[in-house]
Amino acid sequence: MSDNDMNEREKTAMTEEQIETEDVSDANRGRVISDSTDEADDVLIETGPTAGLDDDKPSRGTGQTIVESRNIDVWYGDDQALRDVSIAIPENEVTAMIGPSGCGKSTFLRCINRMNDLVDICRVEGELTLGGKDVYDENIDPVALRRRVGMVFQKPNPFPKSSRDNVSYGLNVQGIEGDHDEIVERSLKQAALWEEVKDRLDESGLGLSGGQQQRLCIARAIAVDPEVILMDEPASALDPIATSKIEDLIADLAEEYTVVIVTHNMQQAARISHKTAVFLTGGELVEFGSTQKVFENPDSERVEDYITGKFG
Amino acid sequence: MSNEPRPETEPLRRRGFVIRKERLYGRLIAVCAVLTIMVTVGIVLALLGRALTFWTAVSPVSFLTGTQWSPIISGTYGVLPLVSGTLLVTIASAAIALPVGLAAAIYLSEYASDRARSVLKPALEILAGVPTVIYGYMALVYITPLFQGVLPLSVPVIPSGLPGVPEFILTVPSLRTFNVLSASIVVGIMIIPMVSSISEDALSAVPDSLREAGYGLGSTKFDVSTGIVVPAATSGIVASYVLAISRAIGETMAVTMAMGMSPQLPYFPNVLRNLVESSQTMTAAMVQIAQADSLGGVTYEAMFALGMTLFVITLAMNAVAELVRRHFREAYE
Amino acid sequence: MAAGEDAVGRLRRGSGLRFEQLKGRVFEALLIGATLVGIVSLLVLFGYIVFDAVGPLAASPRWYLLYFGTLVTPTAAFTLYARRRPAVRAANARAFAAVFGGVVLSLAVYAVSDALSPYDVFIYLVFGGGPSVSIAVYARKMNDNTFAGPAVPVSMVIGVAVAAGFYDVLRPIIGTVPRWITYIAITTVPVAAITGWFAAREWTTRRGLLTAGVVVAGGFAVAGGALVSGIDPSFWVVLFSGTVVPVAFVVGSTAATNPEGRIGMLGPFVVIGGGLLGAVVERQFGIAGLDSYLTPTLLLNSWDGLNAANAGVYPQIVGSIIIVAFMGIMAIPVGIGAAVYLEEYAPATGWRGRLASLLEINIANLAGVPSVVYGLLGLALFRNTLGFGTGIVVAASGTLGFLILPIVVVSAQEAIRSVPDSRRRASYGMGASRWQTLREVVLPEAVPGVLTGTILALGRAIGETAPLVIIAVATTTYSAPSGLFSSATALPLQIFASAGNAKPEFRTGVVAATAIVLLALMILMNAIAIVVRNRYQKDD
Repeated sequence: MSDNDMNEREKTAMTEEQIETEDVSDANRGRVISDSTDEADDVLIETGPTAGLDDDKPSRGTGQTIVESRNIDVWYGDDQALRDVSIAIPENEVTAMIGPSGCGKSTFLRCINRMNDLVDICRVEGELTLGGKDVYDENIDPVALRRRVGMVFQKPNPFPKSSRDNVSYGLNVQGIEGDHDEIVERSLKQAALWEEVKDRLDESGLGLSGGQQQRLCIARAIAVDPEVILMDEPASALDPIATSKIEDLIADLAEEYTVVIVTHNMQQAARISHKTAVFLTGGELVEFGSTQKVFENPDSERVEDYITGKFG
Repeated sequence: MSNEPRPETEPLRRRGFVIRKERLYGRLIAVCAVLTIMVTVGIVLALLGRALTFWTAVSPVSFLTGTQWSPIISGTYGVLPLVSGTLLVTIASAAIALPVGLAAAIYLSEYASDRARSVLKPALEILAGVPTVIYGYMALVYITPLFQGVLPLSVPVIPSGLPGVPEFILTVPSLRTFNVLSASIVVGIMIIPMVSSISEDALSAVPDSLREAGYGLGSTKFDVSTGIVVPAATSGIVASYVLAISRAIGETMAVTMAMGMSPQLPYFPNVLRNLVESSQTMTAAMVQIAQADSLGGVTYEAMFALGMTLFVITLAMNAVAELVRRHFREAYE
Repeated sequence: MAAGEDAVGRLRRGSGLRFEQLKGRVFEALLIGATLVGIVSLLVLFGYIVFDAVGPLAASPRWYLLYFGTLVTPTAAFTLYARRRPAVRAANARAFAAVFGGVVLSLAVYAVSDALSPYDVFIYLVFGGGPSVSIAVYARKMNDNTFAGPAVPVSMVIGVAVAAGFYDVLRPIIGTVPRWITYIAITTVPVAAITGWFAAREWTTRRGLLTAGVVVAGGFAVAGGALVSGIDPSFWVVLFSGTVVPVAFVVGSTAATNPEGRIGMLGPFVVIGGGLLGAVVERQFGIAGLDSYLTPTLLLNSWDGLNAANAGVYPQIVGSIIIVAFMGIMAIPVGIGAAVYLEEYAPATGWRGRLASLLEINIANLAGVPSVVYGLLGLALFRNTLGFGTGIVVAASGTLGFLILPIVVVSAQEAIRSVPDSRRRASYGMGASRWQTLREVVLPEAVPGVLTGTILALGRAIGETAPLVIIAVATTTYSAPSGLFSSATALPLQIFASAGNAKPEFRTGVVAATAIVLLALMILMNAIAIVVRNRYQKDD
């Protein structure tokens, strides 16, 4: 894809607002959630409630590419799941991956934090970099990689531990020092769950509702302050109200984190993402660009057919 | 899963000590796994060494075809009487356990309510959990006297005086203190759960669509159970039979205690006499030699030869059961 | 004409259907009969054994009336009362577990320590457990497990090795203190530490320390009381630490925190009190009781081949416990390790994948190998290859360990497999390593299943006879094993040896009672397994 194009667009989009948000995001680390929600609300009001197809969202990104893949091929045994995928994911923005089932979008997501390593028959070829370092370099430890790339899964999967222990799990396994209680509180506030669980932090996370569980998983992911958060259809198992909460949350998260989200739901992609990548059957990346462009005026006819519902 | 860290990729690696520590743990765990193979290797080596020594002293042909087993008194090592004893117990106990176990499996899988199943399944498992020495004790001290009260027995199957038909009276002679019958009964009881639990798994694995097809055609529950479900689960049932028989062949304490120490070739033509007489299985012969407590010598090695024979038989039966089972897995999963 | 035909047709169908119904009912009845026949026969046979062991006919009607009044009626009334009140029932169950668990554990610990010599137990406990427990506690406090993981087992091994190396120096020094002091050290002190830790977790550290101090002081007070009365304090110290303290703790904390269920704590005391009262009255009024072989004599004496009334199986019971305990220490970690490897580490492909499937097949086959064959393995390995003496504890434990290894592996595998994969993915996604995922997520969830399986395997081992006969473990010894290399015997071997005894007082008396002791041990194991499973299932 045209990396240069994108970076160009990003750079031109770098306005004062951009710089401002950067400050905010720095200040936000460690601050309570009410501030950052206000901030987010302001921004949302500015862009209007119908954000998505009509307006391009204000690009808050740093304009830098954080995850970049070049000619990635993935095989499961003899089946090729991804074909020659090249993509540059910008920092501090929401990038959505859409496409019909089996198109390889989740596979690509799992390439970024090498979750595919856990599948014995999976083979990855090509180059994928995180912050300029090839994550498939043989000297890279996938465990260390996953400490910088958080992940939220399709079905909420909290551990059968208390909510507190769920959120502090990553802090413990990664040996992160500091006041864990404070980090737990901050993460839960960021995940907009604090008010609901603050009185029952020591009760099992499994006792929460589905939407709460998923927000708990998001809190768990952001507690360790990753650079990138991967979300694999995080709302597909949830009801509409819980889904909209998660969507709001993703918009907030983009202020501090790079979010890569796989979704089945095109409206969702249009609502929440800055960039959209369309995968079509056979593991091909057919189109990648700003969400507005992809949804309004895609280059590829197949993508247009897919988005208008003629295919897929 | 972890790779050697290198300084230039600083942020994407963990502390070397942690990685080395976890790799060490992984190796230790792998060693545990390999130890389980060492048990098999150990068994084979232990058996093979002494058994081969034995077979150089006593030719395998005379071992396998000899009709007299008298290791301690006359030093004859013909395994056939022991094989016959083992077969007798196996057949008699299978005659009890196979039909009973299958019937229990059909009941549990097709008829029983969830509640009944939750009580009966663990209750059946208890049958296999009771120590075999207690089964042997019960056979010797309680079951045998019980039958001794009934036997000898003459049942006129075809009474005399019928024109043109020869009279036939079934006679069961009186029961010895050590006998095949009571040993077979307890062995039969203890292998019931082997049949019932594996068969029940096979019956439950039959997809409901097959049952529905049967009911849709107007079949009764009896027809569906016996005509559709059981045939569909045949391979699983056969596997359970093979495993249960293998267990009966290897059973030791109950047969040693209740069946006695006198190796016999089977009696013909009054087959039932075999049940009331005492006999000896291969396993019981091993116990007898072990109790004689002679370290070394041909007799001591004969114990290992018997063990080897037993090991090979049970291994082969397990392999057969596994093959049959795999067949049934392919069919429905 | 047509109508008549119809009627006939319906009638035919009707009778056909009736026949079908009858056939179905008969079939179902046959199936139920088949399901029950094994269970019922076993129950009848158990009935015979119990009848012979207990001798209920000898007791007079007055005896039955007495115990009906003192034991059965109060217990039944209490049970009925508790049944309707869940809080009371739960407290009752806890109290029963504390009282009877405490008594059984105290007796087992005392019997085993007494057999192995409390001085030896003390030395190995201090050197093996001391450093490793301190390291573990320190690491917990520092919240850094990086070094504790390897350091704990290594320090344990080194500690045991040092103790073994300097045994000849240490033993005379330790031997100068009275026996009961070592019992304080090996029972009262750990119990004090555990109760103190509980109390500290529940309330404050100060209160925890206070609790621990009270327990230790109590231990010395009991010992002092016994010394003053001129009896050996050892047993009473163990009983105090293993039974009185846990019961007091459970009763006390329930009484304090759970006013609704408080009354349920009385359950076990109703039973014990009723039994004691009955016994006192029985003796006072000389009421003819049971003609039972299931007596303290049986549990405390050693075997007497001439006088059945004097015969006991104490060495056999202690031998069984020591053999099975040492077997568990050796076989269970290996079995769990193998299961972890197969479920969590082994890849599906490559040469290691093939190795893993070979391991799976191998374990399935080992589970089918007759137990006598394991006896031959033990014989060849321990007696012929390693040259161990005949029938010593290590050889018996090792042989049984090989036997239960596949059972432990299979049950642990099932437990580990039942942990949902989504949990593992969540953990890996958080940047946990394989080991961390195992320790923090997989094992905690698999523990109840693994425990249940291993306890059942221990129960199986307690009843195993054939391999022990093959490795020529003695059927009767007159003292409990004094160490891992001393000869031992096991409970089932005594049954094997004496079942054929011609004298009825042995054949259907002592042996029947011994069989009941063995069955009781197995039932105890199974009950523990069920309790463990239910307890953890509720927590989820």
